[in-house]
Amino acid sequence: MLFRVDPTADEPIFAQLVGQVRLAVATGRVRAGERLPAARDLAESLDVNIHTVLKAYQELRDDGLIELRRGRGAVVADQSGRDHSALLAAVEAVVREARLLELTPQATAALVKEAFRQ
Amino acid sequence: MNPTWTDTQLDQQARDRRVRTAVVVTVVGLLILAAAGVIAWSWRAELPDPVASHWGSHGTVNGFSSLGGLLATLLGIGGALVLGFGAMTGFLGQSAANRRIGAAAAIWAALWIATLLLGTLSVQRGLTDARDAGDVGNVLGIALAASLVPAILVGVFVPGDPHRPTERPVAADAPRVRLLGAERAVWLGRASSPIGFIIGVPVAVAIVVIAVTTGLWWLLAEVGVIVLLFIGLSSFVVRVDDQGLSIRSTVGWPRTRVPLDEVVRADVTTVSPVRDFGGWGWRTGRDGRVGIVLRKGEALLVQRTGDRSIVVTVDDAASAAGLLNALSDRQRQGR
Repeated sequence: MLFRVDPTADEPIFAQLVGQVRLAVATGRVRAGERLPAARDLAESLDVNIHTVLKAYQELRDDGLIELRRGRGAVVADQSGRDHSALLAAVEAVVREARLLELTPQATAALVKEAFRQ
Repeated sequence: MNPTWTDTQLDQQARDRRVRTAVVVTVVGLLILAAAGVIAWSWRAELPDPVASHWGSHGTVNGFSSLGGLLATLLGIGGALVLGFGAMTGFLGQSAANRRIGAAAAIWAALWIATLLLGTLSVQRGLTDARDAGDVGNVLGIALAASLVPAILVGVFVPGDPHRPTERPVAADAPRVRLLGAERAVWLGRASSPIGFIIGVPVAVAIVVIAVTTGLWWLLAEVGVIVLLFIGLSSFVVRVDDQGLSIRSTVGWPRTRVPLDEVVRADVTTVSPVRDFGGWGWRTGRDGRVGIVLRKGEALLVQRTGDRSIVVTVDDAASAAGLLNALSDRQRQGR
């Protein structure tokens, strides 16, 4: 899969990686049973510390999104019972409305975060 | 690399290089076969008539032929193989990988046939009845080693492709992923197939059983080679990053790389292994395309300077092609 990091962004690099894997799984671009790249390969190509990648993988494991297996590396966990299609449609609607109101992604994200607190 | 050479001159040099390799291996291959034929013919007074030409599974002779007939058949097959692989080297050898495979296969075929011919005849020298010829299991082992080792060396020493950068931009209609200025990106995928294990493991087990029951212990060395070969050719890590495209076997070899400055364009394509490449694994396709083909379906196609191209079967090839084109853009713009 495609990974990208922006070292100039505010979001920490491990969090950028976590977000991308989460998105890839949610949209079905990466399927259950598929292996994520070896942390060393990923760190080398992105020119980031290997511990940054491992931290991202650990967070994804704690969320139940991947399993870390000795010898097999990071494998995407079974996502049954986690159908994201309705959520993705809702997110699309949120983005559409936010664009109409010319809200920035940051402002929109703040609204979503606020809604979680209630 | 001399920057004053024009594309036409570089094309000419590349053509010279591949024709030279093809001619040398074809001539050497045919000379090996001719020498084997001359030596075999010089033994004719000491050989039974007819000679043994085929052995059954228990090491007993079950086929006979006249010496002339045997020579004609074996040298005919050997000559056809050498000419075929020589032609492949010459006509499909734009990429060094194809020249290495073609040259190594031509030399392998010549040595395999030559050692097989001389080995099976040498055990019959001094016999009056070919039925008395002993087991040739060890001849097979020697022929295999005596043909494979030099062939691998030939493959290693075939001249490679010199670095051939281009400054032309990637075509505007090629797919691209959008990259922000400071963004670093990588695409990592796998080309793998369970076929290597499904075939390799039973073959290895069968050879071990044969080695134990027949006492042909050299077969065991082959098990190691075959298992390594099957594993090496059945799983590759494919990577697109600011170094270009890299395709590396999970065991480290074979591998290849296309630097960004040699990328003409990258696209998504569909591969049918048998129709396009005549099978699975590391292949040579029509028009001299290099193929790392582990399954049918979606694949990344990269066209490269010097009329070269390479195909590797991966999922999500669109992202790989898009990133390779985008990174090549960046490289051409000097960033």
